[in-house]
Amino acid sequence: MSSFDPKKAAHVHRELHSHLPSDPALRVKALESLVVERGFVSADTLTAWVEAYSEHIGPKRGALVVARAWRDAAFKARLLEDAAEAIKEFGFEGNATGHLKAVENTETQHHVVVCTLCSCYPFSILGMSPAWYKSAEYRARTVREPRNVLAEFGVDLAPDVKVRVWDSTAELRYLVIPQRPEGTDGWDEARLASLVTRNSMIGTDRDLTAGSG
Amino acid sequence: MDGIHDLGGRQGFGPIAVTHDDPAFPTEWEGRLYAISQTVGPEDMTIDWFRNLVELLEPKTYLTEPYFQKWLMVLLTSMVRSGMITKAEALGHGAESHAPPPPAQTVEELLAADQTHNTDFSRPIDTAPAYAIGQSVHTKRDMAACHTRLPLYARGRRGTVIAHHGAHVFPDANARGQEVAQHLYTVAFAATELWGDEGAPGDSVTLDLWESYFVRS
Repeated sequence: MSSFDPKKAAHVHRELHSHLPSDPALRVKALESLVVERGFVSADTLTAWVEAYSEHIGPKRGALVVARAWRDAAFKARLLEDAAEAIKEFGFEGNATGHLKAVENTETQHHVVVCTLCSCYPFSILGMSPAWYKSAEYRARTVREPRNVLAEFGVDLAPDVKVRVWDSTAELRYLVIPQRPEGTDGWDEARLASLVTRNSMIGTDRDLTAGSG
Repeated sequence: MDGIHDLGGRQGFGPIAVTHDDPAFPTEWEGRLYAISQTVGPEDMTIDWFRNLVELLEPKTYLTEPYFQKWLMVLLTSMVRSGMITKAEALGHGAESHAPPPPAQTVEELLAADQTHNTDFSRPIDTAPAYAIGQSVHTKRDMAACHTRLPLYARGRRGTVIAHHGAHVFPDANARGQEVAQHLYTVAFAATELWGDEGAPGDSVTLDLWESYFVRS
């Protein structure tokens, strides 16, 4: 049973941290050996988790959701109303998307998502988060100087575009729906999905183009 | 908790290491550690006690350890504190007892399991919400809680309620293993309210905030 005692936990943190090897890979190897030997989990299950998040759960899921929203106005309405429910149509519900909210970019509104307090991310539709999303730089700067941050990502904002930053402070998670590129009329879902970048669904990419489809 | 983790608006940080496409796990150990975190830990762990444990790392450790090494520290400390493992075991001195692991799960089984991890944090509540959409709210300036989800940069500020989500589990109590339901709102703050002249007119920041984070007017 946990004791939920912050002072005692901080003490153990310091004690352990000062004695652990410095090599991150060695630390994880020792932990894996321990949890397997103690019988908490099978090493093959760990391998299967890595495969699940490397091969199956990733931003391709989010891209399919966006592509369907572009093609199907009724689906888009359901997605904007309750994204956590709408993604069940794909079977993409899962880790950290029980309270998913979709926000839509327009000609005059840009959305970008951050978690300043930790690194909350909608795993089941975007997969593992990139290193920059978890970095102190992104977390510190995005709420204060979003336009400078977006410029570093190569996002060129017209002067009349307003920026809204979504700081994920509760269990809501956010999915940005980027604008559909010109010249994609009649494209099917898979071809449209190939244009949707991971960063565009976080809001650090804006102008998608038909060029790569 | 007014810790180093509360990074929003802190200055002095340099350029972002921008990437557009990444492997799920840039190193092998990150994948193994994430997998362990999905399967092993104290049974009564709550998402907010987990976050609080990350916040309780020393500031220099917090800022310099790789992201998933912070998770490793939380796993080790929480397992030691809950009695699952000893300190010697945490330090890699070998398992002090042995047991056969449960049967291995397949990728298909794990994908099905992951689908059930869309945890619902909403809870029933008897009291009516104190605020309505469109209403102005004023956040508290001082927070006594050890763990809170009201960041420093949004304290003592005025914003507008743009959504009400019913009641959700209140993190400040959940971090102590106590489940309390409280109304949750999305509040939009003008960038100029948060950052003065630095903020661009028309820009905004939204936060999801619980009712007790507001000064009652």
